[in-house]
Amino acid sequence: MNPLSIAATFALTVLAVIVVFLVVTTYNSIVGLIQRIDKAWANIDVSLRQRHDELPNLLSAVRGIMSLEQTVFEEVARRRAEYRPTAPIPDQAATSEATSAAVRSLFAVVERYPALLSQHNVAALQAEIARLEGIIADRRELYNDSVYLYNTRIAQVPAVLVAWLFAWKPRPLFTAEPGDTVRPDVDLRFH
Amino acid sequence: MTTPADAQMLGLGAVGILGGVGLLARGFAGYRQAGRIGDTATSRISGLAVGEVRVSGSIETAEVQLTSPLQSRPCVYYRSTVVQSEGRESRRIFHEERSVGFRVRDETGALRVFPLGARWDVPDRYMDRDGLMSGPPAGLSLRVGPSIRMARTPEDDQSDPIRAMQIADLLTVHGTTGGDNSEQIIGAGGQGRQYREAALEVGETVTIVGTVLRFDQLADPTAADQDLAIMEPAGPGAGDPEIAADMAEAREAGTLADDARSAWGNAAIPGFGVGRPVTAPTLDPDATAPVIEPGMAAEAAQSAARTFDIAADTLVLAAGADRPMLIAAGTPGASAGRGAQSFLIGLLGAVLAIASAVAVAIAITGGAPR
Repeated sequence: MNPLSIAATFALTVLAVIVVFLVVTTYNSIVGLIQRIDKAWANIDVSLRQRHDELPNLLSAVRGIMSLEQTVFEEVARRRAEYRPTAPIPDQAATSEATSAAVRSLFAVVERYPALLSQHNVAALQAEIARLEGIIADRRELYNDSVYLYNTRIAQVPAVLVAWLFAWKPRPLFTAEPGDTVRPDVDLRFH
Repeated sequence: MTTPADAQMLGLGAVGILGGVGLLARGFAGYRQAGRIGDTATSRISGLAVGEVRVSGSIETAEVQLTSPLQSRPCVYYRSTVVQSEGRESRRIFHEERSVGFRVRDETGALRVFPLGARWDVPDRYMDRDGLMSGPPAGLSLRVGPSIRMARTPEDDQSDPIRAMQIADLLTVHGTTGGDNSEQIIGAGGQGRQYREAALEVGETVTIVGTVLRFDQLADPTAADQDLAIMEPAGPGAGDPEIAADMAEAREAGTLADDARSAWGNAAIPGFGVGRPVTAPTLDPDATAPVIEPGMAAEAAQSAARTFDIAADTLVLAAGADRPMLIAAGTPGASAGRGAQSFLIGLLGAVLAIASAVAVAIAITGGAPR
């Protein structure tokens, strides 16, 4: 083997190493993105469940004093009952947004009842649900960022080739379709 | 027959191949690092869940802070190097890399960071050299006093924390014989020296990819907050063969004790460059507890709670069991950009290596093929 052949072999080896490195790194990177999306979704799911479990406590705590606010109660209860952990992500997003809107309306009505606000358990439940709402919002943002990174990555070179090879498809964002999150019609006048 | 020109070409070619492959390897590392940062979405601190996350925010001190050796900057991490050039030779006369635990704050809250074992991506901020006739460079401000000091939090002085730090500095008596006084270690200055320093200063933006876990799930919270210099298993500089040889020579001569216990007994205190106590202290049951004024006690307790206490269920950021923490200066985009730039340089390195290999082959065969 003459020196020029050795040099050519060396050049091809270097190029092969670069190509293999890019393919392996890209594959691992996309697998990592998929895992992060699944984890981010699991974390949202935990928060949605927690809110689902906490809402009846708040409703039962305020129901006695706010007996005239049936519309608000019914709206919150109806939205809560729509929670389906196995439903497709866009459907869950719509339900979650509608529940958040109903909860915000409930909080707005509770503000009109000073007797309720002074009760320690109501304030604590309200704070807990507000905290969960904040966590859901933060985690939804993280999930959507992760999905955005993944969807962008599998559309770019060289990942697009690897994605085609492994039939990886874009993932849905956790956002409700327009119209799915119509704010409940709640009468906020003082009764 | 090989001519001197051919030999020179062979030498240059070999250097080109090795250098190019080295650049390519660094480029691969940079690409992987850029991927690790770029492929993780930023979590808000208020909505963190346990597991690997990326957070980005500004640095706040926790209990202690560092002072960098070459520029005397208050920071939570530094890496400083001084290289002495003598003719065509150059030798590293000083190298120190240290970090301490800190907090990172975004718009939703703050998170305690335990950086033990972290990989740091912090570019050099200060690079200068001695002038030929004028001595040390103007920007060199060697540290006077200890490298670690108690940090002051904004709560300590609501009015103006920077002013409070300056006042504290003025009121602190700086010893002239401190064990980590840079001026004593490096010397006041000289000729032919190159100075490089990288530091993460308080208030700077930082991006961290690490594992969120509860404080009580840290294997050893004390160790997780140790600074790098005193966490080296065999002592500072043990990885350096030159230092290891010097230490072996000193042990043979009887000027260096075998271990911390024989040298210091139980007086080794973390933060003073010796290590942790070698035995557990024995408390005298008959000792009288010191009397503390009631007002002072409450104030001291509040101050201690603010600066030291971390509740067991508090989420903190540390290295994962299988993945090291990555701490990078700047925003996620800036950090990923540095990694991408490193990969591009690596590709240029590959081109250099291939071109060098071809040049060597041509030199060996005695000219371009016809």
